[in-house]
Amino acid sequence: MQTQCPSKHGLPERARYFAVPGAHVYTVLHPVTDPVARVLLVGALASERHFSYHSWVRWARYLAAGRIEVLRFDYRGTGESTGIFEEMSFEDWSQDVHLLAEWILGRSPRLPLLLHGLELGAILAGKCFQEGMGDALLLWSPPVNANQVLRSTLLRWSGLEQLYESPENRKSVSAYIRELEQGSSIEVQGYRWSGRLWRDSFHFDLPADMADGSLAGEAYKKPVKCVRFGKDAVCLTMPYLRYGEVKDLSSLYSDTFNWVAGTFALPIERAP
Amino acid sequence: MKETIETRELVVLERPDGIIRGTYHKACDEISVAHESSIDRDRVGLLFLTGLSATRAANGDSAVYWADAFAERGYPSIRLDLPGFGDSDGDPPTESLEFINAGRYASIVSVAIDELVARFNLSGIVIVGHCTGTVSAIYAAADSKECRGLILMDPLFYLPATKLSKFRRQLHTWVLRCHLDGLLTPIYDRSKELCLSIRGNRPPANANFPLLRCWKKLASIGLPILILKASGRKRAGTRSRIGEFDYIQHVVELAGRKGQVSVQVADGAHHSFANRPGRAAVRQHTEEWLSATFPLTGRKDSDADALHQDPVVVTK
Repeated sequence: MQTQCPSKHGLPERARYFAVPGAHVYTVLHPVTDPVARVLLVGALASERHFSYHSWVRWARYLAAGRIEVLRFDYRGTGESTGIFEEMSFEDWSQDVHLLAEWILGRSPRLPLLLHGLELGAILAGKCFQEGMGDALLLWSPPVNANQVLRSTLLRWSGLEQLYESPENRKSVSAYIRELEQGSSIEVQGYRWSGRLWRDSFHFDLPADMADGSLAGEAYKKPVKCVRFGKDAVCLTMPYLRYGEVKDLSSLYSDTFNWVAGTFALPIERAP
Repeated sequence: MKETIETRELVVLERPDGIIRGTYHKACDEISVAHESSIDRDRVGLLFLTGLSATRAANGDSAVYWADAFAERGYPSIRLDLPGFGDSDGDPPTESLEFINAGRYASIVSVAIDELVARFNLSGIVIVGHCTGTVSAIYAAADSKECRGLILMDPLFYLPATKLSKFRRQLHTWVLRCHLDGLLTPIYDRSKELCLSIRGNRPPANANFPLLRCWKKLASIGLPILILKASGRKRAGTRSRIGEFDYIQHVVELAGRKGQVSVQVADGAHHSFANRPGRAAVRQHTEEWLSATFPLTGRKDSDADALHQDPVVVTK
């Protein structure tokens, strides 16, 4: 038994714990022979991690098959990482991204680094990029602020609760929000959201100049791309719509890969 | 970057067609004891199999919570991503439910159990399955010489309809949205009850009969089994919904006189068991069952009893 070995496609994946203050962050590195670039995947949070996991792992494997080394991870307090979710803050998760970006930047040889964020991860990747880390930024479903993510998760979840809960136990979304605003905790999809997390989420914003990819590119003098998935589009984070089914994201993967290859002028002829 | 931390170790099981990834939660004495020779080797480990499409952390990371808790209690716990899911290799089977319900993961799990028992010096494995994970757990238990028991959370003994007609889906959603379920559900239930009565209270046509036969083989020879049933949101106790075939009662009967099947229900637990009452109930019932069925040598129960005092309502 070991933690690194080639998959059936011959590509190794290396799972490790990375020490951060007070916890260990679970990481999976997709190392490749003779890499041409690196990507730090900054994923969705908590319950959305669960729903997007399958597609996120396959995107990492897709990139690795194209000679792009990938590091993905679970935020502290979620998934395979240690720590208690309700004790964590956006600053803690921001620190996770920062420390892992530093780690991947320290790998040899020096190669272009793309920060790729999904949903809340888009804000975290954006903030890290704003601090000067990374050579390009890719944002999937970037929210305006963290509250937008929490609110949409809450809306979807409470909608389901309305459908399946007995009439006497049904609670409206506004009742849940009122509890949070009063400083109480509520439980959403098995995660306990504190009033503090809700309050902080209003002020944890996507950097203002990143809402538009081309404007952000001009502001930072580095490539930035924002992708917003429409209601009808195939989306990584459409959790409650038959999420057990395998989604075909091949065109999203190949289009995005081609953008990465073009952005960094990588010596790759086409998507894997 | 480390493969092992104080309480956990990452594991990889190699198979000809790819790898399986998992997490091992060290038992408390593995953490506190300096010398490996003094670690209690005469103990079972727990192996978690999550439901369809969940990662090995399970919904709300509940499996991580339980694995931490049971390891702290002295039972090393392992969570695996089955092939095609989570961090393990491969793609999910095209028809995942059919694949699982036919017991196709059994040999994979059985081989994994052999490796885990050897690697971590265990006396055997108790498989903990949730939802569709219970199907793989039952089939794997029949396939493995190292399986010592089963813990089944909301076991699935029937073949769910994978393709509901569009009309039926829309009707169902409309009834729920209009809050007509309170009015229409009793009528629907009574009509089903009548059908069940006419059928002579036998398992319906969509029962997973091969699985029931496999269950009978295991349970009737006295394999210790704990069934944990979520009370659900609209009813309480072990009783099934009116008009529904009572699979739990049926499988307890199938186990016969030699059967060692314990059924426990937790009030307030949702099907995922990820909510707080669900987590607490699984933890409490499992710890009590483990202490009674697989007692650990050299550990005072009072020590472990002091670990938590989660209030849950229990009916049997």
